[in-house]
Amino acid sequence: MQRFLDPAVLAGISGLDLVAKTVVDGFVAGLHRSPDFGFSQEFAEYRAYTPGDDLRHVDWNLFARTERCYLKRYRGETNSQLTILLDASNSMNYGSHAVSKMDYARYTAASLFYLAIHNQHDPAGLIVFDDEVRNYIRPSTRQGQLHRLLAGLEQAEPRARTNFMKPLAHFQEFLRRRGVVLVISDFYESPETIVKTIEPLRFHGSDVVLFHVLDPKEIRPELRGPSILVDMETEQRLEVIPEYVKGEYRKKMDSHLEQMSERTRAAGMDYHLLVTDRPLDAALSEYLFLRPGGR
Amino acid sequence: MGFLAPWFLAGLAAVGLPVYIHLLRRHVTTPRPVSSLMFFERGTQSSTRHRKLRYLLLFSLRALLMLLLALVFANPFLRRSSAAASDRLLVVVVDNSFSMRAGTRLEDAKRGALDVLATRKPSQRAQVMVLSGELQVLTQPIKDAGALKAAVESIQPGDSRSNFGELGRGMRALTETVHTPVDLHLFSDMQASNMPVNFADMVMPGNVLLVMHPVAKAVVPNWTVESVEAPGQLVDPKRARVLAVIAGHQTPAATRTVSLIINGTVALIKKVEVPADGRATVAFESLDVPYGASRCEVRIDAADGFPADDASSFAVKRADPERVLFVHQAGDSRSALYFGSALAAAAQASFVLQPIVADQAADADPTKYAFVVLSDVASIPSILENSLLQYVRNGGSVLIAAGTSDAHRQRIPVFGESSTDARFYSRAGGFSSVGQVDASHPAMKDSAGWKDAKFYYATVVDAGGARVVARLADGTPLLLDKQIGQGHVLVFASGFDNVTNDLPLHPVFVPFVDQSARYLSGVERLSGARVVDSFIQLRNVTNEGNQGASVEIVGPDGKRPLSLQEEAAAQSLRLTRAGFYQIRFANGRDALIAVNPDRRESGLDLIPQDVLKLWSGSGNADMAATQGAAAATGEEKKNAYSLWWWVMLLILMAAVAESVVASRYLGTQREEV
Repeated sequence: MQRFLDPAVLAGISGLDLVAKTVVDGFVAGLHRSPDFGFSQEFAEYRAYTPGDDLRHVDWNLFARTERCYLKRYRGETNSQLTILLDASNSMNYGSHAVSKMDYARYTAASLFYLAIHNQHDPAGLIVFDDEVRNYIRPSTRQGQLHRLLAGLEQAEPRARTNFMKPLAHFQEFLRRRGVVLVISDFYESPETIVKTIEPLRFHGSDVVLFHVLDPKEIRPELRGPSILVDMETEQRLEVIPEYVKGEYRKKMDSHLEQMSERTRAAGMDYHLLVTDRPLDAALSEYLFLRPGGR
Repeated sequence: MGFLAPWFLAGLAAVGLPVYIHLLRRHVTTPRPVSSLMFFERGTQSSTRHRKLRYLLLFSLRALLMLLLALVFANPFLRRSSAAASDRLLVVVVDNSFSMRAGTRLEDAKRGALDVLATRKPSQRAQVMVLSGELQVLTQPIKDAGALKAAVESIQPGDSRSNFGELGRGMRALTETVHTPVDLHLFSDMQASNMPVNFADMVMPGNVLLVMHPVAKAVVPNWTVESVEAPGQLVDPKRARVLAVIAGHQTPAATRTVSLIINGTVALIKKVEVPADGRATVAFESLDVPYGASRCEVRIDAADGFPADDASSFAVKRADPERVLFVHQAGDSRSALYFGSALAAAAQASFVLQPIVADQAADADPTKYAFVVLSDVASIPSILENSLLQYVRNGGSVLIAAGTSDAHRQRIPVFGESSTDARFYSRAGGFSSVGQVDASHPAMKDSAGWKDAKFYYATVVDAGGARVVARLADGTPLLLDKQIGQGHVLVFASGFDNVTNDLPLHPVFVPFVDQSARYLSGVERLSGARVVDSFIQLRNVTNEGNQGASVEIVGPDGKRPLSLQEEAAAQSLRLTRAGFYQIRFANGRDALIAVNPDRRESGLDLIPQDVLKLWSGSGNADMAATQGAAAATGEEKKNAYSLWWWVMLLILMAAVAESVVASRYLGTQREEV
């Protein structure tokens, strides 16, 4: 089943819905669980009744037998709203193999949407941004929400450049209800700026997860000779030698990733690096782990 | 080094092409998109240097390819000597023939040969040969100066007659196996008599450069004992006669003292007037030798420059007359009369005829006789036939006169072959005469006079494996010789009785009987004189009775010329040295053979200069003139050796290397794009 999570395999599948279904079914089957298992109303614990508690949660059967009043608590009693912030800047269009970063981000987002709506019945929404918000689909569980989300992903063609600061205000407007907020981007910005921009999303009580999507050649680029590099967002050109790429660049990239991890976690956010040649299960696992009430 | 087409060197300008491509042309790199330049820094300066270094190998290969292409069209060549001195085979040939004993000729020749070997380059191969009766190889082509010097120093004076035809033949055989040019240095007295009959025989092959080193500067007057005629075996010394011919070569008229020396003692001395550059004959009327074999020689007091040829040796054996068993019919007394008279009339008569009637010969022992004659016997006792057959096989000989009686028999005794018919020419009213004579047969040396004899009868004998020595006019074999074991059977198809023919009345009958007797008795083999390099037969080819029997030979130097194994098997012996050979044949008979050098060696006339010049330029007329001069001046002829193929090979290698390197680099560029 692992091969259904392989980005290279998914690249051969045309529709995002099919991609999402393939990934999620494959992923869930790989957990050795039933797709329906864990859906809602799952018993978690008993708690002694205290004044003010909702009497609807009292286990009257237990009270009848023991004459003690206990509340029966369930996991996932509340649907978790999933909002994905997808970076659609030009830099996401980079890819050293069959799957570009944007493709990988789409697959990830689609799979999460499928998992959330189809399996968990969670409301899910999408914000596509670059240097401004380009598309917003309100989180919902309505009929056809999954198709709207997938259509939004299909239409999210990379362009312009990333600017977290500008669309931040809009994020605040859109995210009024607590839930899970996933930011999928390549985060070519200083970690400090990124954390500073995204941190306010937590103020509503949402769990914020950063999915850092990078191509393997961005982490370990290879140059066999002096080359002229063109920035895909700014069109700026730079002549670079292989020695630099092998040495200094890698140090800087490693430092960047480390700082991203440290600063985001310090800010109470989760950070996860997604390399485009790796399977998608990491992202799905992260979501399920974060979702209150479990699977 | 040079170029056969130097104008093509203009193509070297094409080397500029890779220079432009690699060094002058601006290197264009296809821009490579990246997500962000956030972590990149500029590195231009070092990249240019790296780029140049990276393609340096490819540039070198391409420049080399262009260079080689221009070179191959210009066709470079190297000037090398046509054959480097070390590539030429140096062949040193020293003539050690009998004439080289004159003066210091052989020593001069050896000294000259050592000088030539000393001046050769150490890397040059050399070979030493000796020219005498044949071309002897003393060393293989080697570079070892010590071995070559030792080979030259080991050359001893010989007694043979050299022949430049042998030299030419040897060089032709040598050049078939040795493909390098040959420098042939010939050290000889250039004796005119050494030239072959046909000049073409001594012509050298094309790649042999003949350099002659004549060791005889001028003609030397020389007297010599040219020939000696003496009996090999005698009975009565008073009747023996020795004739010696004294010859002078390039000599004035002079009186020479001629001595007959018997066993080292001067027996007779005579003086003879030898005309200028002429010959004189000396006759010694008696040869008083003791019984047994004597070593004799005729010597002159030449006092010339070539004393080695002032004597001529011969061996004489004195013995009592040997008996000849003559078996005849009871009523036939004429045959014994005619045959016995002829035998007694021979000049060197040494046989006594012992006639016996066939019926009484049953217990005769043939081994006590020199040979046996069966004259027209109708039948012989079987005991006698068996003993005769054994006698022949052991080396004895039988003469059979077939006569008329054989016409009634199917088979000729001892001879073994049948008589198929009889020719009665008288019945046809005529006669037949001898039509064909094999003069090479010892019994027919003097064949003149045979034509006059009239034959009225002849038995037709089946020749079988016998040698037909004489035939009648109608082809009927008259005289047949058959070898049986070690001996011979001679069949005369008519009779000795003056009835079936009139041969006994002709003068030729006496020499015929004399020579036949000598041949059959083996006297010819047991004494007399031979010439150096002649052969003496040790045993017959069909050796039946003496299989494995050994002969003993002692040479003039007192040593055995053959090994024990060779003495047990050799068919013949080459008499290579002058002097006396003592030989004991397998049948126990002893022989003393005198061997004299070929008297043509005594003529010390030199080959004319124009002939020598023609010879030295015979094989390489164009080359000899140039190379001879070049050799004299120490120059070397230079030839142009084209390097075209080598350059083409380098081009191929450079092209392959360029392809490999270029494909690697181009592959890298594609990956980068």
